[in-house]
Order: sequence, then structure tokens, then C-alpha cells
Amino acid sequence: MEPYAFKGRHIIDTADLGTTEIQHIIEVCDRIQAMGSEAQNLCKGKILGTLFWEPSTRTRLSFEAAMFRLGGNVLGFSEAGSTSVSKGETLADTIKTIAIYTDIMAMRHPLEGSALAASQFSNVPVINGGDGAHLHPTQTLGDIYTLVKEKKDLNGLKVGFLGDLLFGRTVHTLVRLLARFGVEMHFFAPEGLHMPEYVKDSLKEQGANFKEHGEMNGALAELDALYVTRLQKERFFSEEEYLRKRNSYSVNKEMLAQAKDDILILHPLPRNEEIHPEVDSLPNAGYFRQAAYGLQMRMALISLCLGVFE
Amino acid sequence: MRIERINNGIVMDHITAGMGMEILKLFPPALLKTKIDYASYVDSNRLGKKDIIKIENLDVDPKTLMKMTLLSPDITISTIRDGQVSQKEEPTVPPEVEGVLTCQNPKCVTLKESYLVSRFKVKWEEGSFRQQCQFCEHIS
Repeated sequence: MEPYAFKGRHIIDTADLGTTEIQHIIEVCDRIQAMGSEAQNLCKGKILGTLFWEPSTRTRLSFEAAMFRLGGNVLGFSEAGSTSVSKGETLADTIKTIAIYTDIMAMRHPLEGSALAASQFSNVPVINGGDGAHLHPTQTLGDIYTLVKEKKDLNGLKVGFLGDLLFGRTVHTLVRLLARFGVEMHFFAPEGLHMPEYVKDSLKEQGANFKEHGEMNGALAELDALYVTRLQKERFFSEEEYLRKRNSYSVNKEMLAQAKDDILILHPLPRNEEIHPEVDSLPNAGYFRQAAYGLQMRMALISLCLGVFE
Repeated sequence: MRIERINNGIVMDHITAGMGMEILKLFPPALLKTKIDYASYVDSNRLGKKDIIKIENLDVDPKTLMKMTLLSPDITISTIRDGQVSQKEEPTVPPEVEGVLTCQNPKCVTLKESYLVSRFKVKWEEGSFRQQCQFCEHIS
């Protein structure tokens, strides 16, 4: 097998990962799952630090569950108020100190670029669990793994994106990564929430196959998967505008009647009204399986960065 | 209009027309309590129109020089000693600039954690420099 240099590496941005490296991470996900309960010994004696300066129950618990399932231990904090940051400590000092206690860190911080900054002061691997509205690479890699597991071949796959495509941080990194795998992308957004120009420019530079649509109608029938995102209330100037846009789209059984029978519905969660609960019971509802694949992806990344796998 | 000779100091020539005031703002006001000649929108063979600034008894540090070049890519800077040009520079902007620029994104980590050395990718695009912060990727 080709050697990969993951041991001791920071995972800050999916753009830092080569396509074959991503394929390798996916293989490691599968290998760990195939090990069953034996995976419990992979990171025995190792400590994951979870440094969460802002609340994120889902991502933090997913990292912690991943480390526990690998047989390791976890320590950390889930809000800045309980740390020395509230006493004025710098990010650099916090990182240098916690690097003494731990073998690997997963962090979320409200400032953009904070994970890259942290990696400059850490002698143990730092995994970015979200830096403000900037990057969220483990979500993106988990989404890729979901599509691979559910749809097998990404090349030529038709994936739609519905919702807030302007501010949705997961979508911006995901589309650029999917372009590398030959995925055909279709964008559907409410007025004023379209994909930013710089993301589209980047897709054009990559030679990506994508199209923006005003309405879903005809295009829906062609899609193999639909990635839905939540509108973030805090992005809107008024409650009225938020409600108007929020009610402008919803995935429900009636809508899915116009789609392929096996269309896969994904969502990074948490969701609001954009996916009706009636969809949950359909085999198309992939969003909870997506959370499970995200956990498996985090297990693979922790193992790789600790050097358990090459 | 007449720009007087200086014995010691700097002459900044080929400044993009109208950018002279922005260049002057790069210097701490205390350093500008000296003789300054400033001509704006003068004819130039190379640029059509340009600004020229002469400042007596002043040196330019490399960081300020880089900031000047980002504002005015054709700028030339002559150092004058005893009435003679002792050094003439036509600075260029490298593709990556460290420790010079400040990110305009209020949510960028470099603004809060001030010990971080800023790093920008710089690219000439449509008549101005496109500056991308390498921490938060914000473009300004």
C-alpha cells in the first residue's frame, strides 16, 4: 500500500488533502468498521482533548464518541467561560498547555482561521471541528463518506443543494471537494441566498459541472441525492424576512414524489422545518445515517493522525 | 508648480495619480513634522498622470515600502543623501506577504490574537491587488 503521511498531521482544511489521501481515509473508515469490537484497542492509552470555545453538542459528542469507541480517553471543555480564556489567556498558550496533557485535539472556536492558528502552536495533531463560519472539514469528509457508502460511485453522480447556499459553511467546502470526484451539482437557493461568486469562480477553475436553478421542478427528477441546509436565523435583519425565506422551501413526501425513487436526502443537522418529519420514515432519509458516517470518519481521522494506521 | 530639491530624505515618484494622500497616511504623523512637497496629477510619460512626494529627513522601512507598493504598484523610491540619489528602488509585490497587512474580516483570528503574523496571498487583478488572508481566506 502507498505510504501516507498522516501521523502527527493537523486536519484543518480539506483543501490540504489530496484526492488519493481522501480515498485512503475512506478505506480506513471501512477497515475500522470491519474490525467491530476490536477497534476498541486501537487508541488505548491515548487522550483526545476536546476544546470547544463555543457550544456544539453534536460535533463535540461525535468526537468524544469516536475516541471512546477507539478505546481512548477524552478530556476538554465545552465553553470558553470555564477556561483560562475568560482570564485573558491567549489561544496560543491554551493550545501549548493542553498539548502537554493530550495526544490529539479536536477544537471548535468562533474566530475564523483559529484552527490554523492553533496548529502553529501545537506539537500534537489538531483537528478542526469548525472555525467560525469558515471551515468544518470533518463534516465535509463525513458527507463524502456518506455519499460513497450510499451511492458507491461519485463520478457522474447528480447532487442537488437546497437552502442557504450563501452562508452555509459546510456547503462551500463540500461542493469544491465533490468537484474533484466528478460529481454533477445543481444549486437551488431562496432569493438572496445563492452560492457566493468566489465559490462559483473556484468551481469554474476546477472545471466543475454545476448549474444554478430558479425552481426545482424539472431538475429534481434527475437528482441522485439532495443536500438540504438550514437557514440561520442570526443571518437575517428581521424575523419577517427569516420566516418568509424559511417557508419558501420544504422537503416533504409530496415533493419527493417527483424525484427518483432512491434519491438520498442529506442534511448536516440540526434541522428546522426544511425537512418535514414525515420524510424520516422513508429509506431516502439519509441524514441520521449521515451522522453515523460522520462518527466513523472521525474515528478514522483520529486513528490516522495518531499513527495507528499509515 | 515647482517641486524643490531636498538634500536628505526620500522621493516617491510614479505614485498612482490620486494615491499620494494614502501613501502619506502610512507614516506616523510625528515623522511628518518636516518639509514635504506633494504634487498630484502631474503629467507622466509612463503613467499619463502621477503623484510625486518628497519628504525631508525620512527613511522608509521595508514594511511601509511593501504597503506603499500594494497601494501604488508603479511607485519608485529614491533615497537622497547630500543632494545625491544614493539608492533607487522599484519594489515589486511577492505572491505572499507576511506581517504587513491587516485582515479586514472582523471575525478573523489574527485581529483578536495579535501576536499572530498575518499572511496574505496577493494577486494583481483588474487594476488593484486582491489580498486573501491565509488564516480566514477573507478577500479584500
